[in-house]
Amino acid sequence: MNIGRSLVLRPFIMTRSSYRHGLFLIAPALTLVCALFVVPFGVSFLSSLTDKSGQWTLANFMRAGELYSTDIAFTIAIVVASTALIALVSIIIAGTLTLSETRWLVTLLASLYRWPLFIPFIVAAQCMRTFLAKNGLMNNSFIALGLTDPMSTASYLDWRGIIITFVWKQAPFVTLLLAGAMASLDRSTIEAGRNLGASKPRILLELVLPQVKPTLIVGLVLSFVTMMSVLSVPMMVAGSQPTMLTVDMAFRINSYGDYGTANALGVISYLICGVAAWLYLRHQTREAPR
Amino acid sequence: MNWKLLLKTSALAGVMALSSHANAQITLNVATAGDQNMVDYIKDYLGPMFEKANPGVKVVAVGTGPGDSGSQKIFEKLSAQQSGSSPSDFDVIVVHQKMAGQMAQDKLLLPYRSKIDTGKLVSRESAENALGANVSGFVMPMFHSQTAIAYNPDLVKDVPNSYAELVEWAKKNPKKFGYNGIKGGMSGVAFVTGWVYAFGGDGDKLMKGPYDAATKAAWDKSLADLKAFNANVVITPGNAGTLDMLNRGEIAMGPVWVDMFYSWMNEGKLPPNMKLKLVAPGMPGQPMYYAVPAKSAQQQMAEKFIAMATSPDVQAEGIVKRFNWYPGIDAQYLQGKLAPADWQKLFADITPADLSQKGKPFPITPYFNDILEGYEKKVAN
Repeated sequence: MNIGRSLVLRPFIMTRSSYRHGLFLIAPALTLVCALFVVPFGVSFLSSLTDKSGQWTLANFMRAGELYSTDIAFTIAIVVASTALIALVSIIIAGTLTLSETRWLVTLLASLYRWPLFIPFIVAAQCMRTFLAKNGLMNNSFIALGLTDPMSTASYLDWRGIIITFVWKQAPFVTLLLAGAMASLDRSTIEAGRNLGASKPRILLELVLPQVKPTLIVGLVLSFVTMMSVLSVPMMVAGSQPTMLTVDMAFRINSYGDYGTANALGVISYLICGVAAWLYLRHQTREAPR
Repeated sequence: MNWKLLLKTSALAGVMALSSHANAQITLNVATAGDQNMVDYIKDYLGPMFEKANPGVKVVAVGTGPGDSGSQKIFEKLSAQQSGSSPSDFDVIVVHQKMAGQMAQDKLLLPYRSKIDTGKLVSRESAENALGANVSGFVMPMFHSQTAIAYNPDLVKDVPNSYAELVEWAKKNPKKFGYNGIKGGMSGVAFVTGWVYAFGGDGDKLMKGPYDAATKAAWDKSLADLKAFNANVVITPGNAGTLDMLNRGEIAMGPVWVDMFYSWMNEGKLPPNMKLKLVAPGMPGQPMYYAVPAKSAQQQMAEKFIAMATSPDVQAEGIVKRFNWYPGIDAQYLQGKLAPADWQKLFADITPADLSQKGKPFPITPYFNDILEGYEKKVAN
């Protein structure tokens, strides 16, 4: 939130010293990234490129491609779609919290939206198993409401279930960051827009959102990386074909003790996360000289 | 004053209770792979029974996790302690077939079966041979577990008798058959293994060996057919996921573990009219083994423990009645130990004749790995 704020409050006097200031602010995050990302990456990268006797080999990556190319594509599709939906949901909720004049709606939304933050992924997955099933709570509610009939219900316990669980769990997190950033905006820009007759969606999209964009992107990148690492949700919500890379890694280790291929898959998911991080960094550096 | 006295007395009593607990002369460490029900079985059932019969002995149960990876952990521990001078951490272990073979080969186990009375009551081939490895004398089967196809008779009128009929049935009833692939638990693995036995050529060779790396080339057609079959079925999330979907009526048929099936039914998590069918040519099942590490400090006590656990009374009451497993010892010794209803329940859908004809072992380890990898390469990806 601090990153967003420092960029937002002084967008027009961004200088070299405030760039250093920014670096100082991200120092704790950078340290964490080194300890929890760069070092493990190095270790698993080396292990993925060696065979059991320590010789260099590409066999692990070949096997990963041969066995799991579908799963790699599936993982990317799931996480990208989830990230897009999280962005949409969190913008709508945070925008409503910031701009709506309907007091009861804001109070209700503010008290409700944080709840999923306190629920672990594994519990969320277990809830979704009974909620999204063909004859689960969601479809039964639809039937009771007369929205659908029992014969035409479908199970959502597949890729859709994974996306729904991810969005349900991560959207509040991004909303929390985003609503905080929006609340700390200078309200005069919003008032100015209103005075000139702009509609609320337009104020949100053209005035508010550009100012909190860095915060939004931080939240989305963090969610992206989190979703890449979740094992319980794909394992519990959906069947195993296709499935996400975390399940494949667990399977390689549990069934074969095959750390080489598991690490190759790990490196592939690091690379996918790396692309997300690179997009974010590129965005940041473009933003900075403004 | 009285209060203080009371306090002192009760504190003293507490200390005495604690110390008498700690004073048990012998601790028997039992490590078990498998799901929580395995730990519960030893902690809540066998342990207290053994402690009662042998005062001064304390049984400590340790779970190492489900599936072959649980056995792998026990193997790693014993293997690491093999060269040291101190005794091993475990006195009795309960492991799967794959690792039991490895442990026997690596001389990590004590040959004990001939030393206990119940050793003679074993008749299954799996007591001698674990997925191709000779384990004769080193293990006693704790129980035998079998996979079968569970179905809802309200939804399935023309019950398939074989894999081939099942394929036809799934074609006519798309998305009504469900299984969990090979990453979500062993019931799916068993279904796939049974498929290769049925359509991949010489099933006997896969179960008995010898291993020939070229054999797997002959499975291409059957695996391609399985991929086509998968288009008509639901892939469920896990062993429990298949049972869940059967329970909710979302699928009408799917492979399950027989013991899980009956346990779920007893707990009211499956409709009581559900049935089981062991389709031809057969589906695999597996035992879990009791074994004694070669470096156990309590070998005699460990043998005594296993003798009790494999006695006809305990096999009847604990294994068959409470946990719905098939007995590890020959079923004839259990006659008269069980109420006929308990016995009938276990063999109602799958008769002893079915079981002996169509209850297969898993393939020997290298073929097993080839089947799993072939599935990942040619079916799932």
